[in-house]
Amino acid sequence: MIAGILFYATILALMGRNPVEVIYALARSFVSPGIVKDFLILSMLGYALYVSFKGALFNIGGEGQFYIAAIGVIAITLSLMPWSPGQSTAKTILVIVLAVFVATLLGGLWGLLAGVFRGYAGIDEVPVTLLLNYVAYYTVDYLVYSIFRGRHTYGYIRTDEIPEAYRLNYYLPPRTSSGEGLLGSLSSLAYQFLREFALYYAWVIGLAVVALVVYFVMYRTRLGLLIRIHGSNSDYLRAIGVDVCRVAVATLALSGSLVGFTASLYVLGYLGRLPYPVEESTANYGYIAILVAWLAVLEYKLIPLAAYIVAALRDAGINLQVAQLGGTEQTFISIGLLLTVFTVVKVFTEYRIEVRHSG
Amino acid sequence: MASIKGLQSSTESDQQPIGDNTSTPVVSLKRITKTFPGGIVALDNVSLEVYRGEIVALLGENGAGKSTLVKIVYGVYTPDKGRVYVDGKPVFFKNPRDAIRKGIVMVSQVPQLIERLTVAENFLLSLESVGLASPFTLTSRISKFIERESEKYGIPVNPEAKVWSLTYTQKQMAEILRAIVIGARVLILDEALTYLPVIERRKFTKFLLEFKSHGGTVILITHKIPEALESSDRIVVLRRGKIVATLGKEEADAETIRRHMFGEESKRLTEALPRSKPGKRKIIVVERLRVLDDYGREAVRGVSLSVFRGEVVGIAGIVGNGQSELVEAIAGLRRAVDGRIVIDDVDVTNKGAKAVRSIGVGIIPDHPLRLGVSADNTIVENIAALFSKQLVIDWTEMRRLAGHVIKKLNVKASSEDDPVKTLSGGNIMKIIIGRELLYAKKALVAYNPTRALDEVSAAAVRGAIKSRAINEGLAVLFASEDLDEVLELSDRVYVINTGQLYGPFDLDTTSRDEIEKYMVM
Repeated sequence: MIAGILFYATILALMGRNPVEVIYALARSFVSPGIVKDFLILSMLGYALYVSFKGALFNIGGEGQFYIAAIGVIAITLSLMPWSPGQSTAKTILVIVLAVFVATLLGGLWGLLAGVFRGYAGIDEVPVTLLLNYVAYYTVDYLVYSIFRGRHTYGYIRTDEIPEAYRLNYYLPPRTSSGEGLLGSLSSLAYQFLREFALYYAWVIGLAVVALVVYFVMYRTRLGLLIRIHGSNSDYLRAIGVDVCRVAVATLALSGSLVGFTASLYVLGYLGRLPYPVEESTANYGYIAILVAWLAVLEYKLIPLAAYIVAALRDAGINLQVAQLGGTEQTFISIGLLLTVFTVVKVFTEYRIEVRHSG
Repeated sequence: MASIKGLQSSTESDQQPIGDNTSTPVVSLKRITKTFPGGIVALDNVSLEVYRGEIVALLGENGAGKSTLVKIVYGVYTPDKGRVYVDGKPVFFKNPRDAIRKGIVMVSQVPQLIERLTVAENFLLSLESVGLASPFTLTSRISKFIERESEKYGIPVNPEAKVWSLTYTQKQMAEILRAIVIGARVLILDEALTYLPVIERRKFTKFLLEFKSHGGTVILITHKIPEALESSDRIVVLRRGKIVATLGKEEADAETIRRHMFGEESKRLTEALPRSKPGKRKIIVVERLRVLDDYGREAVRGVSLSVFRGEVVGIAGIVGNGQSELVEAIAGLRRAVDGRIVIDDVDVTNKGAKAVRSIGVGIIPDHPLRLGVSADNTIVENIAALFSKQLVIDWTEMRRLAGHVIKKLNVKASSEDDPVKTLSGGNIMKIIIGRELLYAKKALVAYNPTRALDEVSAAAVRGAIKSRAINEGLAVLFASEDLDEVLELSDRVYVINTGQLYGPFDLDTTSRDEIEKYMVM
């Protein structure tokens, strides 16, 4: 990683920018409370995609699964079971649980659809999941424009806000005084992190759930074993009498449902409504999570670390833009370099260089 | 050696001159050590010298280090310690191409020719890779060149034929001719002749002697002692990564070699297998089966056979005569275009492997690495995939089963959590056999069940198969290119030739020669 940063600094210098300033801004992002949000979401999505990539099924349809699931949350919380004053806590909890459940189901169905194409029609899942992203975008756009179009949106085309009672956030009050010196700054920073984690407490629980479910399914159940073998040699599965098509369908459905689950928490814990057009106003999490899964080299334990690095670099990109030190291209350059260096390093950890003299 | 008009052969251009006398070894290995991940020592301080005009056979049990040794000579592996010398000069091969440029060429058991191309196109690729042809060389020129060379060396090869249309013997002939034309002066044969019937093998032996008389050198790897005795001048025996004996032609006999190869265990080889007493009920019934190969040719032509409860039925034949397709069709891994397959009174024709498996049929397939295991997964995971039927896997039980397989077949693995890819070819085969024998309740369908196993392991596997048939009534149908194995293990024998089945033959009244005649007619 240090090699990657040095390489990056050289490129910055060649571009005529001050490497020290840019790298300082980058480094600051790694300890910024602002990355908590991305870290949590990307970790969950990273695990969701990990499932399909482990089965050598390249689910790049995270985006589509995300938004199809999100519209489910809107449908439940705004149309089917809208909040009414004096509503019981039990009903509120029921609506939230139902919204999460429906989103998980919809994400799963979107994944399953790609799985059916792949399993039973033999169509590669890459173009299918990619195209299904656009189907999802436009379906959601249409729904936001028509039946879910809000009434209290000041003329904007978007859905109404999800009622406060259904929102999954907890606000810690800002700290009024912090101590002096380094210790004071550190304690203040720690408190800011705590506030962020409290704000997205549901995602913390969600990440724990996703991580546990993925671990349990992949390493304790027959389905998980079949998925992992599918990723390595599907002919062997066929020879032992396993229906390979069903494994492909189940893998993509599981991956999609975890994306859907994450999307529900994202909508209930942050977004609060869906804008129009949906695809231009969000963070491309479905695609960035692909990077997270591969940066973790499909190692279960490394997913959160990869999510943390990617979240920090994304945050740095925004900071650099604000400080007019460059734009989002900086983020991509840094991520790209990091991946390149990482790949090179990985090669060297698996192979050894030996210098021999002949003759 | 060979030359194409306008192009120089490798021996005429960049190659070292052939060792000018027999005192300088053509290939020499000095104090070679090779350790694989997991700490398995494949070769331990091995030194070997091979001279010009000599045929050296390398023998040894599974995992003895034979393949590792020749792969070091051929540039596939690099040694951890020690050096390789060619013509007395140290060399460092980065890949097989480096070795080929020095005139060292390997031919293995599985033909490496590209099936969809013609023989001439395959030769062109090889000639190009060693700089003897350019990408613009016309294949018609190559064809003429092949015809000339084929006549010169007495190896009949049709340059225009598509490789997939050739028989196994023809493919191996083409492989050897290719090795010669790209300038081989040291020919490494890694089990390349092992699965040919004696009659066909003798043709190759004649050629090898011819090649030797012209100064060529052959390193022959085999696990068949008679094959080694037939043609080699010197027999080198490896055991657990060390050379334990080097025997001259006059002092080598089968018994001595076995003793060096297996030590005390060699005594078990003399035990003959008992005959089973088949039951009255037919377990496997195949009627007028027709199956196509990957290229749409009819590979199995109207085959009918049956296997009774407790009976072992063997199908002999040269590689590529339809036995692989027949076994795959019965196992539910290949569609039948006509005919019927009934196992334990259930019609499983074109019902897939799941239907066959659910009856309790063990399958030892052709292509063990593709259809027999998932190499990236661990031993216990490979076993759990077949045995675990519940939603949540009982890993303790699966570990017990894996441990049982490892112990029963003496698999050399450090634990059941070893990834299969870290095991040697023979040990992977043992995992497959052990797992399938454990799974088989009604029948076992196998292709080359002891492929890649040394004599002692192979004898143990044959013993285990026979004992399941005799004691538990398992119906066994197997095809094998190893005629010795078919004769030893079977109660009844069929021969398959160009997709047609001959027999059954009664082993008490039919001679080996007669069976071989059906194999090559």
